[in-house]
Amino acid sequence: MDSYLKILSEITVYFSLFYPILYLKSFVSQNKAFKIFTLYLVLLGVIQLTMRMSTKVWELDSNLFLSHYYFIGQFILLSLFYVQLLKFRWIYGILAIVLLFLGYQYISNPELYHMYNPLGFFITHTIIVIYALLYMYRSLSGKKEFTLANIGIFMYLLSTALIFGSGNLIFNLEVPESFSQLLVDINKVLFLAFQILIFVEWWKNYSIPKTKS
Amino acid sequence: MVEELFDTQNQIVNIILLAIALLLLMSFAIVLFFYFSRRKITKAELEKAKFEIDYQKDLLQATIVTQEEERKRIAQDLHDAISSKLNVVSLNANMLTDGEISSEETQKIGDSIHTITATVLENSRRIAHDLLPPTLEKFGLQAAVEELCEELTDTEKFELKHSIDYVEGSLKPEKELHVFRIIQELMNNTIKHSEAKTITLDLTSGENNLSLRYKDDGKGFQKENIKNAKGLGMSGIENRAVILEGDVQINSSPGEGIEVFLTTKTNHAN
Repeated sequence: MDSYLKILSEITVYFSLFYPILYLKSFVSQNKAFKIFTLYLVLLGVIQLTMRMSTKVWELDSNLFLSHYYFIGQFILLSLFYVQLLKFRWIYGILAIVLLFLGYQYISNPELYHMYNPLGFFITHTIIVIYALLYMYRSLSGKKEFTLANIGIFMYLLSTALIFGSGNLIFNLEVPESFSQLLVDINKVLFLAFQILIFVEWWKNYSIPKTKS
Repeated sequence: MVEELFDTQNQIVNIILLAIALLLLMSFAIVLFFYFSRRKITKAELEKAKFEIDYQKDLLQATIVTQEEERKRIAQDLHDAISSKLNVVSLNANMLTDGEISSEETQKIGDSIHTITATVLENSRRIAHDLLPPTLEKFGLQAAVEELCEELTDTEKFELKHSIDYVEGSLKPEKELHVFRIIQELMNNTIKHSEAKTITLDLTSGENNLSLRYKDDGKGFQKENIKNAKGLGMSGIENRAVILEGDVQINSSPGEGIEVFLTTKTNHAN
């Protein structure tokens, strides 16, 4: 079982480096939403790679600080992404308020940088999930772009809100290693499912270059 | 104590795991819900589109049928009122060129030719008038409908109560023609089929709307048969109402005559 999960873990890392390249290939010819989404995929790839390097190459004690870049970068890029899809200007307002709140959090408690930020994870994930839900409602009538990627974002962020949110709790509880490993593994499986959906989205809609008529 | 703590921790761990599973399940359910709703909506839209296409087909068919009937009527008119009479003229002219006839006979034949050509002229004018009344083009809808009413009154078969209050320019000329045709068709129906005594016609154009009310006290027909009453030109009336982007309501029952309401927006409304 462990060996399977190890392979799975390798797959997610390499996969997260592979599909941004697919998306980057048609970067220039596509619309703004596509460009922002590609940047988001690049961010995921960079975070995955840095996480791998931090443990295997640089041999850092903790790579928790990366989680902050991950969720804040994710929140900014996906908010911009949904502004393009939903055309709601108020998303900018929400983005600004949440960023101000997070800024205040880190200034008032700099220690937070070396821990998980459960509240931050919860707030940002929930807001993105709401955007995804709004977009799903909008795609009810007619064919809309990024339907599959949207489902992927919705499912992955909703289910992992709790995994990342409970990170500190798990450390404090001193539960057996196997349990925290279990959470990591669940995350990996969900992440792979998310990646597959993004890949299928590319395969179905963007693998064949659009011919301009 | 340690065991107890461990138990509590285990419980928390279990709750977290359960909550994650629940979230996953919920997200699955929501995605499925949206997926099936979307399928349902797409299906409903498809059905609606099909319905519209069917309707368009019916409309097209009705138009073709009407067109053919109209051609048949014109052909009949031309044959009866012009060709057959011109035949007689041609025959008479032949007799004139024969040369072996007395001047009295020549006079008689000349008179006959004169009378017949006058009739042919009158008939051809009538046919042209039926096809496109010159009054409508020259003097507008008000005058054309008034003329229709006069013609109907002249027959002395009906008592006609009419009030026509149409402001010129309320409708575009092509729409005026449709309104005129609807009134003409309704009157034709009354004359041909209804055995009515009284006809009421109100045509009013207001600021935004044009409304037409037509009523007779004839024998009427089953309301269910309206759709099938192609011979009565009802589908033609409905088609014209569609082109006018207006609403038409046709009420009739046996023995109760017919009552038709038509409303459409005027130019000013847009």
